[in-house]
Amino acid sequence: MMKSNTSVSQPVLRVRNLKVDFPSSRGRVRILEGVNFSLYPGEILALVGETGCGKSVTAKSILNLLPRSGVHRHGEVFLDGCDLMKLSNAAMRPFRGRRIAMIFQNPQSSINPVFTLGEQIFRLIRMYLSDEIKAVQQRLNISGRAAVGQIAKERFEEVGLTDVERLLKSYAHQISGGMAQRYRIATALLSSPEVLIADEATSALDVTVQSHILKLLRSLCRRKGTSIVFITHDLGIAAQMCDRVAVMYSGRIVETAPTLSIFEAPRHPYTQGLLAAVPRLGSGKRLANIPGMIPDLANPPAGCRFHPRCPQVMACCKEEKPPQQDIDEQHQVACYLYGEHVPCLPTGHSRQPQGAIVE
Amino acid sequence: MSRACRQAIHASLRERLLNKAIIQLNQVKTHFPYRKNWRGQPAEWLRAVDGVNLDIVAGECLGLVGESGCGKSTLGRSILCMAPVVSGSVLFHGKEIQGLNDAKLRPLRPKMQMVFQDPRASLNPKMTVLQILQEALFICPGFDHRRSLERSAELLDTVDLRPEHLFRYPHEFSGGQQQRICIARALATEPEFIVFDEATSALDVSVQAQVINLMADLQQRLNLTYLFISHDLSIMEQVCHRIAVMYAGRIMEVQRAQALFGSPRHPYTKVLRDALPVADPRQRRELATLPGEVPSLVHPPSGCRFHTRCVYATDVCRDAEPRMSVIDTGNWVRCHHHEHLQANDELKAQPLNRSTEIKETP
Ligand SMILES: Nc1ncnc2c1ncn2[C@@H]1O[C@H](COP(=O)(O)OP(=O)(O)OP(=O)(O)O)[C@@H](O)[C@H]1O
Ligand SMILES: Nc1ncnc2c1ncn2[C@@H]1O[C@H](COP(=O)(O)OP(=O)(O)OP(=O)(O)O)[C@@H](O)[C@H]1O
Ligand code: SF4
Ligand code: SF4
Ligand SMILES: [Mg+2]
Ligand SMILES: [Mg+2]
Repeated sequence: MMKSNTSVSQPVLRVRNLKVDFPSSRGRVRILEGVNFSLYPGEILALVGETGCGKSVTAKSILNLLPRSGVHRHGEVFLDGCDLMKLSNAAMRPFRGRRIAMIFQNPQSSINPVFTLGEQIFRLIRMYLSDEIKAVQQRLNISGRAAVGQIAKERFEEVGLTDVERLLKSYAHQISGGMAQRYRIATALLSSPEVLIADEATSALDVTVQSHILKLLRSLCRRKGTSIVFITHDLGIAAQMCDRVAVMYSGRIVETAPTLSIFEAPRHPYTQGLLAAVPRLGSGKRLANIPGMIPDLANPPAGCRFHPRCPQVMACCKEEKPPQQDIDEQHQVACYLYGEHVPCLPTGHSRQPQGAIVE
Repeated sequence: MSRACRQAIHASLRERLLNKAIIQLNQVKTHFPYRKNWRGQPAEWLRAVDGVNLDIVAGECLGLVGESGCGKSTLGRSILCMAPVVSGSVLFHGKEIQGLNDAKLRPLRPKMQMVFQDPRASLNPKMTVLQILQEALFICPGFDHRRSLERSAELLDTVDLRPEHLFRYPHEFSGGQQQRICIARALATEPEFIVFDEATSALDVSVQAQVINLMADLQQRLNLTYLFISHDLSIMEQVCHRIAVMYAGRIMEVQRAQALFGSPRHPYTKVLRDALPVADPRQRRELATLPGEVPSLVHPPSGCRFHTRCVYATDVCRDAEPRMSVIDTGNWVRCHHHEHLQANDELKAQPLNRSTEIKETP
């Protein structure tokens, strides 16, 4: 289902010009250099991009979960008109988990290894669902403790986890990767958040369980109006269930568009390369990839960070960062191939690709 | 890997299968203690791997796919003697390695490696990349400390990382970069056999393509043998020669990669194919899910383990365990009705009291 009215409603989450610097042995590294995106109520936005481009850092900096020491964040993150960047860590607490929930990449290592899954989920249920505990207690006429257990069981089953008794008594290392991931999904959904950031939430799941989870998240969006940022590298998932796609490259979002436009008329050369690399059943070809290496963030290429690998690179690309251009109302791209205004070029320069092959 | 080359490998595969496989699993069972009795001894077992027969031929890439929690990682670990195998035999180059003590296993360790699902958890956060690689090099015979720096840089180069990355700590890398460090570490000991446990599931498509192509090149150059555990069917179809489909601790079907999803023989394989999200928004479809519950590994279903969720199930499926029906050398399926299903792909099996239906790809 495509959203057509995204431009009408107000975004729930608006990220403006988000910049993040990390200290490193070779000076400061600018991991994010101005990330912009909006998330509208009830929509699913796919965030795709090369490994190391800063997807997880974007997600973590929205919730201020980056390591404390020496990390600088600039920019604005608005949730319902409230700028999260200005909040102290303590003031963030009511947002984190409650209004914005996150499912982390690396499911197994993001579960506390010293407590059983039961101990952890019971604590969260007591924290977020006191009303539901009372309701269940009355409905089934059981103790508070039993009610908590009952809710945990329901939530586990919702994400397709069976054999609940055993799982509640297990530690993180005793469950499989897919179970860990589903457990993380179940806990993230406990608080009925307005915004869910799912970082590779289904990458450890087999396809049948994955489609179960995708359906669950989809229905959550419809029923409760939850908005989801779905960080994924699986363009199949983006195509099947996301409303819009944002493509990230080396610290910037280079193209944003409704799913159909991204797949049928990708504009940015990086997006075009990415789509060509998608493996398809029955094609039997050697996989295409984008030649060249991921840029070194401590020493990034000047201008458009994609220029050393771009098949359509032009002279102006090497000098200044390309601004965001509107292809149409819903389709933005940051590339000199589009739009009227090319500031770094002497007037009259035709935008001819240099040397490289264009098909 | 090119098609012609794959076919060539295939021809020779048949031959080699008849001769000797590099790894042979015979009725392997790996059980974890589940519930203890009053004496503190296990009274019930979790049968993560329950009677697996599988041959892996030198130079092939064997795929392993299956539901989450069905025992794929445990099977991989069992081959490397890292999981408690309770019965059955694991042969490496024809020699039993199951039950060997540490001293006897030590010379074999460098020859078999594993790359894990969660790179973060498998890299020591307190060590630099160099130390991680040196640690791996250390178990090789003829370890030379001075040469190890050079060799480490070489290894990073094989996985497209830069030499300056040697002095960084794992947390300074993204998920995909961490996974490449793990691959470099696995290659350090010049192994013959590598288990990739969802090694590419954390990578984006273009880097994944690089890593996969790299794996294929290394495989040909160094004559490596892979067990490739993954959920990504389209990747598997590209890189694997044969694919084994696992369900609830058992292997259900082994088939040539190109044939498997085109003409799946086992009903479970069919569901897998239909649940795959296709990267084309015009082809949005209802992704298949499995009805019913994930089977318990403590009390697995009787007869065919898939019968509780199979739309083609009949009485015989509940009562009797299907035999391995050999299709041709190295390929087989475990289903009572596979011939029937194959003859009539669209077939709606005899009276079923289930309403669910496996959707066909449009
Ligand atoms: N704690 C840290 N200290 C220093 N650098 C870091 C830290 N965390 C991340 N980085 C760097 O930030 C960059 C972006 O990392 P991030 O984890 O956001 O990538 P990603 O887009 O999520 O990639 P993937 O798809 O592989 O998960 C990487 O180059 C990584 O090396
Ligand atoms: N050390 C352990 N102790 C007890 N049970 C275990 C242990 N390791 C795995 N298991 C159980 O064995 C079963 C199979 O786990 P395994 O990790 O092999 O699954 P998997 O097929 O790799 O799944 P996934 O695709 O989700 O990674 C699971 O039910 C798991 O809980
Ligand atoms: S701005 Fe230039 S280098 Fe960057 S993607 Fe566009 S054409 Fe390529
Ligand atoms: S043996 Fe029966 S239950 Fe098992 S897969 Fe075949 S048809 Fe289905
Ligand atoms: Mg990430
Ligand atoms: Mg696993």
